[in-house]
Amino acid sequence: MGRRRRRRVDPADAARALPEAIAVLTRTLPTGPSPETFRRAKFDRPEAAPALWRLLFCVLSPMPADGASPSLALEAQARSVKAALRFQGYPRRALAQLPDDGSQGGRELLLALAWLLARGPTLEQLLAQSRVRLGDEMPVCEIHSYTRGCHSDRSLGHLSVTETELLRDPEGGQQLLQRLERENVRLEAALEWRRRELVFWQWMDTVLGACPPEASQPTFLPKIPAQGAAELELVVRELQALQEELQGVAETRWAAWEARVGGHGPEWSASRRALQEAVRQDLVALQWAWERGGGLAQPHGPHRLVRTEAGAPEGRGLQATEVIEVLRSREACLEVVLGQLQGQCRQELARLVGTLPGLIWIPPPGR
Amino acid sequence: MLPADCSSRLVAELRDALDSCAQRQRQLERSLRISRRLLRAWEPAKTPVPEPTPGPETDEEVPSSACSPSPQDLKELELLTQVLEKAVRVRKGISKAGGDKAPTVKSESTATSPATRASTRLRASDWTGSHASETKPPRGIRQTRVPAKDLSEHRLVSVEDPACIGRGARAAKLEPSRRSQETVPLAAPQAREVFTLKDKGILLQLPVAFRKAASQNSRLWAQLSSTHTSDSGDAATTAKNHFLQKMQTTSGWPSSRLSPAEVEAEVGRLQKACSLLRLRMGEELTADPKDWMQEYRCLLTLEGLQALAGQCLHRLQELRTAVVEQQLEPWPEGRLPRASSPCGGGADTIRSPPLLLYSSTQELQTLAALRLRVAMLNQQIHLEKVLMAELLPLVREQEPLGPPWLALCRAVHSLLCEGGERFLTILREDEPAD
Repeated sequence: MGRRRRRRVDPADAARALPEAIAVLTRTLPTGPSPETFRRAKFDRPEAAPALWRLLFCVLSPMPADGASPSLALEAQARSVKAALRFQGYPRRALAQLPDDGSQGGRELLLALAWLLARGPTLEQLLAQSRVRLGDEMPVCEIHSYTRGCHSDRSLGHLSVTETELLRDPEGGQQLLQRLERENVRLEAALEWRRRELVFWQWMDTVLGACPPEASQPTFLPKIPAQGAAELELVVRELQALQEELQGVAETRWAAWEARVGGHGPEWSASRRALQEAVRQDLVALQWAWERGGGLAQPHGPHRLVRTEAGAPEGRGLQATEVIEVLRSREACLEVVLGQLQGQCRQELARLVGTLPGLIWIPPPGR
Repeated sequence: MLPADCSSRLVAELRDALDSCAQRQRQLERSLRISRRLLRAWEPAKTPVPEPTPGPETDEEVPSSACSPSPQDLKELELLTQVLEKAVRVRKGISKAGGDKAPTVKSESTATSPATRASTRLRASDWTGSHASETKPPRGIRQTRVPAKDLSEHRLVSVEDPACIGRGARAAKLEPSRRSQETVPLAAPQAREVFTLKDKGILLQLPVAFRKAASQNSRLWAQLSSTHTSDSGDAATTAKNHFLQKMQTTSGWPSSRLSPAEVEAEVGRLQKACSLLRLRMGEELTADPKDWMQEYRCLLTLEGLQALAGQCLHRLQELRTAVVEQQLEPWPEGRLPRASSPCGGGADTIRSPPLLLYSSTQELQTLAALRLRVAMLNQQIHLEKVLMAELLPLVREQEPLGPPWLALCRAVHSLLCEGGERFLTILREDEPAD
């Protein structure tokens, strides 16, 4: 019964879809400019530029943990934004050519924003960075024990410091509540954005179309010698050294092994294959460890500390013992790296000074 | 000794390092402060005591009017009763020992007597009970003067359902009041109603408004991380890719171009690969194979490690070529400071923060110590790399004449090879003086 409106897209709905989508987008952003700014930006109106520079700065810089970052002048923000976008590989040169004073560039900035949004889970990452933390990440034992049983969420079991603090100080508690509620608004907007964003992307196509085409042969930016290039070289040398060591170590042992292991029976080749397979799998797992980015992405990340009885059923979360193991191995790894770097330096310096006559170098007493 | 630009860069780096240490320290101190404050007796709330009107649930301080006890009330009442009984026992123990309730700071301000609290509830009058000095050692809690008993009531009771215990307590009047009679003779003249986490922590409850917001928060996060594809999702993804491609093609850059961010990320991964390979090599070399099979396995592993090292090297050389060809600036100056621990990939950080379960203080201590150590090592390695990049070229380039260069070498050696902790000695063989 009733008219079926879904058959045909009501033109009024279609006209509203874009502004509504943009409105939703601005609700999810931390310092959302008004939808009007977006519209002006499409036509490259200068008044849209400052707000967009600031927004991009906010998006591209990680939120400082304490929230006490001195706010930069617009010009400094603009320069930072340019550098960050260049670092990320932003394809358009027009951005680099915008004046630093932040007075122009609405359309280009709009394109940059859309580019960031299109590439990755930018909104979600922004939300995650500024997430209200209700749990404890610092080890605080006693408060957990004393509030055992009070949490309405059974899986947590006790209050965190933040929660207990909110009970002690209702004013502060109000602020926390407000932050939570604001975050909820942004989260809801982010979910709604997913339903509405298509029309935004169609619009961005038109924005891009409105730009003058760029020259096909871009002028190359001058190469600035920077720390990163040196880092690459460092790793190259480390790997070369490692390779040489491995080779040296294995050669003699292979020879000895070949000599000792005499006649080969049929069971020999079966064992050999089994061992080869085992080693292969081992090494695949090892490789995975650095390619995937490590097992526990962040053992010191935003994990909520929860006290349980020892031997409690697993599956609820990470066990402290596991994390401790991971951290220990990470510590070992880092110590190796540091030792290696220092060793490289020692060699290099020895090489540089070794050629000089008439000097005696007395190293400091050993550790 | 150092050229000006070099030294200003180094100073900036070191300052950053110091700043991040200072920040960490501040965070820890803040956390300690807050925790200590929570563990002491709580001050009365600054907000004035509101009138006892049956307000909406979000109004924390309002006790509701009496109503018939619910099962939860009775349960809490039972809890309260147990506490009372314990207080009675303790007090009896003390009065037997003839302990005088000398109003030392400690004894007066130690954990409130539940008896006192409850009794002020049970009897509407200005009941004063002395404190059962806890047999546990006092905790040096400050004295707090709590003027109105109502305040600590509100603190203690569930802020959501503020009169939960109140109701329970009133209902206690229905019970044989022998318990209240037994509670204790007065000694101190004034009611000191002090709330401590240690004694009453388990009775706390979070306010309803907060609980609602918090559960909505986790629900929304879960939704956000789960709904990645849907009908509109696919269309939007296609539209996004189309947009990105158009951006690329209109820009004139070749699409195979690597961004500095990608190069850095990959160099980081390969650095990690190198460390892991080296670590593994160390393990294999210290192992002691017992028979030919173990030896074979060991050798195969070493061979495999060598092959992996070769692959990584190959990839690095590709990156190096790409950087040169594209005239990339791998790490442009003045870029925005990165967060010290980069957000792990998209999905991981979006989920509700996973729980980290611990079961003893020892575990927490170890955890904290290790985290600190890892952070320190990361910082040291970063500084080492920065110093190497800046200082080694200087040593190489300068003409090795005279004391300035020697001094530089000595300083550089100490910084780069000994972590700045030790110095080597250089003796020069001079020609004889005559």
